[in-house]
Amino acid sequence: MSLQGEAALILRGARMQSRVIGALIIREMHSRFGRHYMGYVWLYFEPLLLGICIGLIHAWRDRPAAFGAFEFHAVGYILFFVFRGILNRATMAINMNKPLLYHRSVTLPDVFYARHIIEFLSCTGVMLAMLFGLFAANGSLPESPLKMALAMIMMALFSQGLAFLASAVTAAVEGSERVVHAVTYLLLPVSGLFFLVEWLPDWLAQMALWVPTVHLFELLRDGQFGSRFRAEYDLGYIWGWIMITHLIGLAALRITRARIGLE
Amino acid sequence: MGLEMVNVHKTYVTRGLRKDILRGASAFFARGERVGILGRNGSGKSTLVRLLGGIEAPTKGLIKRNMTISWPIGMAAGFQHTLSGADNARFIARIYGRPIQETVDFVEDFAELGEYMRMPMMTYSSGMRSRLALAVSLAIDFDCYLVDEALAVGDTRFGRAFAERIERSGLILVSHSPALVRKLCTRAAVLDQGQITFYDDIDEALATYHAL
Repeated sequence: MSLQGEAALILRGARMQSRVIGALIIREMHSRFGRHYMGYVWLYFEPLLLGICIGLIHAWRDRPAAFGAFEFHAVGYILFFVFRGILNRATMAINMNKPLLYHRSVTLPDVFYARHIIEFLSCTGVMLAMLFGLFAANGSLPESPLKMALAMIMMALFSQGLAFLASAVTAAVEGSERVVHAVTYLLLPVSGLFFLVEWLPDWLAQMALWVPTVHLFELLRDGQFGSRFRAEYDLGYIWGWIMITHLIGLAALRITRARIGLE
Repeated sequence: MGLEMVNVHKTYVTRGLRKDILRGASAFFARGERVGILGRNGSGKSTLVRLLGGIEAPTKGLIKRNMTISWPIGMAAGFQHTLSGADNARFIARIYGRPIQETVDFVEDFAELGEYMRMPMMTYSSGMRSRLALAVSLAIDFDCYLVDEALAVGDTRFGRAFAERIERSGLILVSHSPALVRKLCTRAAVLDQGQITFYDDIDEALATYHAL
């Protein structure tokens, strides 16, 4: 095939895939919330409310902290919600969308992309609302919104890779979806949501930096507070995790697709 | 132009048990042709349909698709039962890149669902589901319709409209119902022992099928 022909073919495929993902997003919104506007409002308020609650609990407990404890935890929790929202929903994704696989243009990864776009956009909206609220309340502005945005994007991608893997595992091993939910809670204390690497003793900091999400929280806070602390993160390390989880995850989905029965 | 299967094998392994469903099946379906494939229960009809529809890949062999072919239309597979018929029609119009309102209007007119069009599909009777599935697929306008199992069309206004509409397109009907094949198809084959055998005329195919 000529180079031109090949390019046209890729373009046609890309157009079809974006059509499918667009349709899946609309369908997902309808089946998740029905046709009621309250549903859409909830999509937005769930992470916002949880973020505010976690922020308030910590603001009350650690009043003398150097940073605003509320700002630190409320904003951090929204980043955690990207992870939690994507990974927790992954376990049901295949079963809920099985009937759609009868249309051969709908692929398993498309189903995930659609959900992750919804999750990412709603968390980004919540993040903007939170930052605006903080600005209105005490005039604080993030030092580098770009770094915060990068943290959100990379968190979504990392969670996406894990979601591929988690759903492949839950499709293969019955009952394992409960483990996934438990794991997202167990990861909460080590995720980096509640600490800065700077606060840890040296030996613990070394260990914490093995955890990919710790880097992401450092990146987020570098954008949020910047010069007020020494951030420690390695973007290459996170990209490595993103790449490996995608590679193994997509391969696992391919195997899953061949194994799941469509009756 | 058409759809060709060349020496297609399909093997499933469940719990270490190997099942060869298709063993070197070959067939050619020309564009615009209406073909019936008869098979007994357990002969691998649904497997054949999934392979023809491109939902599963063959274990070995080749399937060349040179015309647009519908998803398998039978008991409303490919639909989301928590959503309404209209929402499902819109979704399918979107993924196949068809005008949305036009599709919904056509389905509304053809499937005769009345106000059920705006109700969740789980409230539908099986006849309503199958009318919706057929109407949506006809709205997309494929070269060839892939139909699985007995159609609940019957000799109703809808059934006659469907039979008349299908005359203008191609059809691959995989079924255990000789009467339906005789009514809708111009050529017939029998699926048995993992292979597809075509016959010169429908009567011969039906006789072979009855003798199985």
